[in-house]
Amino acid sequence: MSEKPAYTKPLPDLRPEDATFWEALKEHRFIIPCDDAGKPFWYPRKYAPGTLSETSWMDASGNGTVYTYSTHFIGPSKAYKGDPPHIVALIDLDEGPRMMSILVKDEEGYPSLDPEDVKIGMKVKIVFDDVTDEITMPRFTPAG
Amino acid sequence: MAEGTPDVKEARRMLAKGICIAGVGETEQGIISDRGSFELLAEVTRTTLDDAGLELKDVDGIVTAFSFVESTLMHSTTLADYMGMKPGYFASVAVGGATAPLMAVQAALAIDAGLAETVLCVRGDNTRSGISSSGMIAMAREMSHGAYEAPFGLTTIGGYGLLAQRYMYEHDIPQEALAAVVATQSEHAALKWNAMLRNVVSVEDVMADRWIATPFHAMDCSLVSDGAAAFIVTTAERAKNMKKKPVYITGIGEGFSHQYISQATSVASVRDGLGRAGRRAMEVAGITPQDLDVAEIYDSFSFTPLIALEGFGVCGPGEAGDWVLEGNAKLGGKLPMNTHGGLIRQAHLGAMHHIVEAVLQLRGEADDSAKTEYNGGNHQVPDAKLAITNGSGGILAATSALVLSSEPPSAA
Repeated sequence: MSEKPAYTKPLPDLRPEDATFWEALKEHRFIIPCDDAGKPFWYPRKYAPGTLSETSWMDASGNGTVYTYSTHFIGPSKAYKGDPPHIVALIDLDEGPRMMSILVKDEEGYPSLDPEDVKIGMKVKIVFDDVTDEITMPRFTPAG
Repeated sequence: MAEGTPDVKEARRMLAKGICIAGVGETEQGIISDRGSFELLAEVTRTTLDDAGLELKDVDGIVTAFSFVESTLMHSTTLADYMGMKPGYFASVAVGGATAPLMAVQAALAIDAGLAETVLCVRGDNTRSGISSSGMIAMAREMSHGAYEAPFGLTTIGGYGLLAQRYMYEHDIPQEALAAVVATQSEHAALKWNAMLRNVVSVEDVMADRWIATPFHAMDCSLVSDGAAAFIVTTAERAKNMKKKPVYITGIGEGFSHQYISQATSVASVRDGLGRAGRRAMEVAGITPQDLDVAEIYDSFSFTPLIALEGFGVCGPGEAGDWVLEGNAKLGGKLPMNTHGGLIRQAHLGAMHHIVEAVLQLRGEADDSAKTEYNGGNHQVPDAKLAITNGSGGILAATSALVLSSEPPSAA
């Protein structure tokens, strides 16, 4: 494993209501929120959208399909300056919900997948990127 | 929400009072580093009052938006104070790009409720020259979720890109269709006196431009500009004594799909959500897309008007790209679109300029040939009587649309 440079990209806003999610990621477990009928949804929050029932959590496979993507040649802040393009994607998880992430080449979390290797409909799987001691970000890489 | 809920008759009843736009104004647009945010708003208010033949004391209501530069939680009353007004009605509307048509709706509601009779709707900012780096970050983060989108490096451009690439995939839309929107609007902006970009570009020029976020080249993106625009909403009765022919608001409608782009269910659901605004506005006005003479459609990106045209029923799903490539959106085409150049070529002030341009079109005043100092040209659609205009906030999240007419609405 090569030494990674200090992480300067934006970190997630943390709130008490979804601390469970980030704590699980830190342990390299991927869980997703669901409503009181067991229906999973995205994004994590205290009360389920539509019903406002209290959120519970289920283990997710981390497998999904690229619904769409956009190759970003310019990032949202100075921290992206000089980087190769990054690919932001919406991923349909096998369990149903759709979430955002970036597409990466390998298990290390970076670097970005080559833009020519991305296709809508391609199968992807989660990788865990420990970007700081406290935060692990979910990334996705081509499956199989 | 079902179409026609609640009863469209209530909207028609209100608009049958002859709710109209009796004056419009716009400043120079572009890089205006010598003027502040409130200064621009006051400047355009002078122009707009002059257009209507009114004095400031004749205005009893004010509706403003927000500023990226002058942070205030009470924008409308701060401006009222700056200009020395004591309005009986005041409101600040903040729904991103949907703000301008919603300002008109807010003014109409206030007039209908007897809170005001003559309402100044004004928006402007020195966004380009005056914004601080923290303001820029706030603007960039505005549209992405702080925990589940922003940390992945999503930009606003890329957020639209996600939806646009799925749209192009599902309907087999070529990149040329997006470029054709830019090329078309560049021809229109070349004629508009205050457009920032006056050069005409071709489909090939746009395709050869540098990438920002796929499927958008730099030229596919809207501008960042300084400037202001305004319009005055009143009743036909009150407008009788004013200088200009009133332009009637005959249809209003709103539609919502999602806030964060990761929450958008499908291309169809986004098209339907934003489309509801236009369909509803046309239903209230009692017209169909075939009746329209001109369309001033929100164009944050080249893709944006394509899905709106489909949502409004001007074209079928997936057909807007070919429709634009065939030249239908050009001056002289079937339904000239963004005859002022739009956000992509004129300036970015939400949908303010779309409303101003629609009013000028319906008054027959969209010929800038006399503005020789600005090298203006004629972008008038001959005999234009009916226009649709809209604005969308977020990433096609919230949309508001107006139907404007040179004729008063028929009795409800």
